[in-house]
Amino acid sequence: MPSIEKLANGLTLIVEEIPHSESAAYELSIPGGMVLDPEDRIGACLILAELNARGAGNLDSKQLSNAFEEAGIRHAESADHDRFALRGSLLAEKLPRALELVSWIVLQPAHDPDEIESIQNVLLQELGSLVDHPAQRALVELGKRYYPAPFGRPSLGTEEGIRATTLQDLKSQWTQKFKPEGAVLSVAGKVTSAEVRKLAEQYFGEWSGKGPCLPEFGKLPPHRAFHVPFDSAQLQIALAYPSARFGDPDYYAAKVTTGLLSGGMFGRLFIEVREKRGLCYSVYARHGSTRNYGTVTVYAGTTAERAHETFEVTVKELRGLKGTVTEEELDRAKANLSAALVIGEESTASRASSNAFDWWIGGTVRTLDEIQAGIDAVTVASVDRYLERFPANSFMSLTLGSRELALS
Amino acid sequence: MSGIEVHQTVLANGLQLLGEVNRNNKSAALGFFVKTGSRDEAQKESGVSHFLEHMMFKGTAKRNALELTFQMGNIGAQSNAFTSEENTVYYASIIPRRFAEMQEILCDMLRPALDQQEFDTEKKVILEEIALYQDRPQFYMFEKALGDFFGAHPAGNSVLGSAESISAVTRDEMADYFKRRYSPSNMVLTASGNFDWQRFVADAEKYCSKWEDFRTERKLARRTPGKVAKIYKRKNVKQTHVLMLADGCGAQDEERFAMTVLSTIIGDSSGSRLYWELIDSGLADGAGSDSDEKDGVGCFMAYASTEPEKLDRVAEILRRIVSTPLEFSEGDLERARTKLCARIVLSGELPLGRLMALGNEWNYNRRIHSLREVMERIKSVSRTDIENAVKRYPLRDWSEFRLVPE
Repeated sequence: MPSIEKLANGLTLIVEEIPHSESAAYELSIPGGMVLDPEDRIGACLILAELNARGAGNLDSKQLSNAFEEAGIRHAESADHDRFALRGSLLAEKLPRALELVSWIVLQPAHDPDEIESIQNVLLQELGSLVDHPAQRALVELGKRYYPAPFGRPSLGTEEGIRATTLQDLKSQWTQKFKPEGAVLSVAGKVTSAEVRKLAEQYFGEWSGKGPCLPEFGKLPPHRAFHVPFDSAQLQIALAYPSARFGDPDYYAAKVTTGLLSGGMFGRLFIEVREKRGLCYSVYARHGSTRNYGTVTVYAGTTAERAHETFEVTVKELRGLKGTVTEEELDRAKANLSAALVIGEESTASRASSNAFDWWIGGTVRTLDEIQAGIDAVTVASVDRYLERFPANSFMSLTLGSRELALS
Repeated sequence: MSGIEVHQTVLANGLQLLGEVNRNNKSAALGFFVKTGSRDEAQKESGVSHFLEHMMFKGTAKRNALELTFQMGNIGAQSNAFTSEENTVYYASIIPRRFAEMQEILCDMLRPALDQQEFDTEKKVILEEIALYQDRPQFYMFEKALGDFFGAHPAGNSVLGSAESISAVTRDEMADYFKRRYSPSNMVLTASGNFDWQRFVADAEKYCSKWEDFRTERKLARRTPGKVAKIYKRKNVKQTHVLMLADGCGAQDEERFAMTVLSTIIGDSSGSRLYWELIDSGLADGAGSDSDEKDGVGCFMAYASTEPEKLDRVAEILRRIVSTPLEFSEGDLERARTKLCARIVLSGELPLGRLMALGNEWNYNRRIHSLREVMERIKSVSRTDIENAVKRYPLRDWSEFRLVPE
C-alpha cells in the first residue's frame, strides 16, 4: 500500500516501496496545462514546460541536461491537459540527485529569453506536422468539437497562442502555477517512505504557496457530425460519447464494457469489423476519464469505398451491446483487464505514474488489489445498467478524408 | 538482478529453447522468434512474411480463428506479433498461473491452418494496412529509402509488400513459403520472467517435438557499395524529411557495441549532437540516429524532419555531423554509456524487455547475453573501440534521401 502524506508546505507525497526492484521512478504533477492557459495563449504551457528545463539552479541548459544523463536519469517534462508533469526513471541510488535537479527546475528555472524562439519553432513544426498524421488529427479535431471550452483545447496548442506568448506571459504563469499546494510528488521503487520524505523536505521544503484551481466543467455541446476534407488514401472515422468518470459507481463497468468492445483481439468491434469483414486494419474503442468527465472514443480508419459499411457495423456493435452480453464474454473481458493490470504495472515508472494519476483525478490512490476488486465486481447486470445510463444512441462524429460520409 | 536463472536447451528437431527466470516478476513473457522476413521472400511473394504473421492468428487444425482469439482472451494474454525484414516474432505477456495454457496456444498457432476464406478476408486487412501507411510520409520515406539504398540486396525488401503483390499472392504460395521457412531449427522459443523452466521444456517437447525439421537458408552478403541520392515527392505533406544512410556493422560484428554507443552520442533523443544542433536550436521537430544491425549486413542512419524552407540547412548540418563521427569528448562518451546502461536495467525489469533482448541475440549470435554481460560490454566501450569501428565502417559514403511536398 503506498504511503500518502502532506508536507508542511501542502505538497502531497505518495511513496510506493518496491524492495525487489533495482530502479525508482518519480512523477511530479503541478496544476496547469492546456485548460489553464489564457484564451489567447493556448499552448503557452508547452513552452513553459520546455523552458523550465533549459537551465535551472546554477546550470545552463546543456549542463542541466548533462547532469541528468551523467546520473543515468531518464527525465522528461510535459504540459498535459490539466497539469505540468515532470517524470523520470533511474537506478534507485540516484534518487537524491534526481529530486535535487527536479527541485531546481521547479523552483529556480533560468527562464532564458534566448531559448523561447527555438522552443516556439519546434512546437509550431510539431503542430504543423499533425497534417502528416491523419488518425491523430481526426481525434484532435473531434476533441475540439466534443468538449466545452476550455476542455477541448488541442494538446499541441494553437498556432496563434504559441506565437503570441512572451517571456512575461511565461514568467507570470510560472509564478502563479508552480506552487506546492495542489501539487503531488509520487515516487515508486527501491526506496523507503522515510527516505523519500527526507529528500522531499530537503529539496522542496522551502517551496510555498497555493496553485490555481482548475476550471469548472461545462455542458457538453450538442452532438453533431463533422467532416474535414483531406486528400488521403484512407478515411478516418472518429466518434465520442459520454461515459462514467473516475469515482462513478459504474466506472469499472465502463472499463469492462470498453473491453467487451475492444479488448485484446476478442472485442466485438475487432471481431466484427476487422476479423469477419476485413474492413479495417485499425478499429478500436477507448474509455478515458479526467476528474471532470468520462468519454468513450471510437476510431476506425478505412479506404473510402468501405467507409460506409465500417461505420454501419461499428455503430451496430456499439448499440447492440445492451442485453446481449454473455457470462463467458464478460469473464473474458474481465480476465483481460486484470492481466493487463498486473503486466502493465510491473515497472516502477508505471507505479509512480498510476499513483500520481489516481490522486490527480480522484484524490485517492488505489492499490492493485482494490482495482482488481472493482473489476471482479462487474456483472452482466452492471454492464447493462452502465449501458442504460451511457448509451451510444447519440454521439459526436468526425470524418477526415477525401470523401464525406453520410453519417446517421 | 539477484535471483535470475538462465537456461537453454534444444529439442531433437532443432527447436531451441531459452529461458530467463526471475521470480521477482509478477508476470512472464514468451515468444517464438522465427528467423524469417521480407528479405527471405522471392520478388513475386513480396509481403508474404507479414501477411503470414497475420494468418497465424486465424486458426489451426485444432482451433478456428474465433476460438483462438477467445481462448487467448480467456486467460488474459496480451499477445501480439511483428514482422521485419529478417525476423517474425509472435509473443505474449501473461500472468504466471496462465503461462502453461498460453504456451500451448502459442505452439498450436505456429502450425496454421491457412484457411482459404480467412485468407481472403485477411487480405483486405493487409490492403487497409498498406493504405494506412501510404498516409504516413515518414514511414513511406524510410521504406522507399531502405529499398533504394540496399538495391539488389534483399535487406531492403518492403515488409508490407505492395497492393499489387498482396492482391496477387495465393494461399498456396503462402503455404509454400511457410514450408520453406518455418522449420523448428529456424526459430527459438523464448520465455522470461516468473515461470517454471522444467515445465516449459516438457511442454515444448509435448507440443513441438513432432514438427518436422528441414534446412533453411539465408544468403548473407554485404551490400554492393555505392552512394544513392533520391528525392521522393508526396502530395499533401506538411513536413519534409531527410535521411542519411551509410554501410554500418552487422548484428554479428564485434563493433556493434561501439556503434551503438556512437549512435547514442550522435543522435539520441536527448543530449546528443543532433539534439543540440537541430532540436534545441529549433531547426527541426525530429532528429535521431541509429545503428541498424542486421544479419550479416547493417547500416548507420541519421534523419531529421523540418519545414520545407529549412530542409537544405538541416540536411547540411546532418551531413556535417555524420561525416565527423569522432567529434565527441570523453564526457559525451561517458554520458552515452551511462544512459544506455540505465536503459538496459530499466527495460530488463520487464519480462517483455528481456524476452526481446534474449530472442534477438540468439537468432543472430546463437548465444545468451545476460543483462550484466550486455552492460559490461557497453561500459567497456572506449574511444579507441569507436575509432576502430569507424575504421572498419568509415561512415564516409553517405546516401541521402529526402521527402518533399509534390
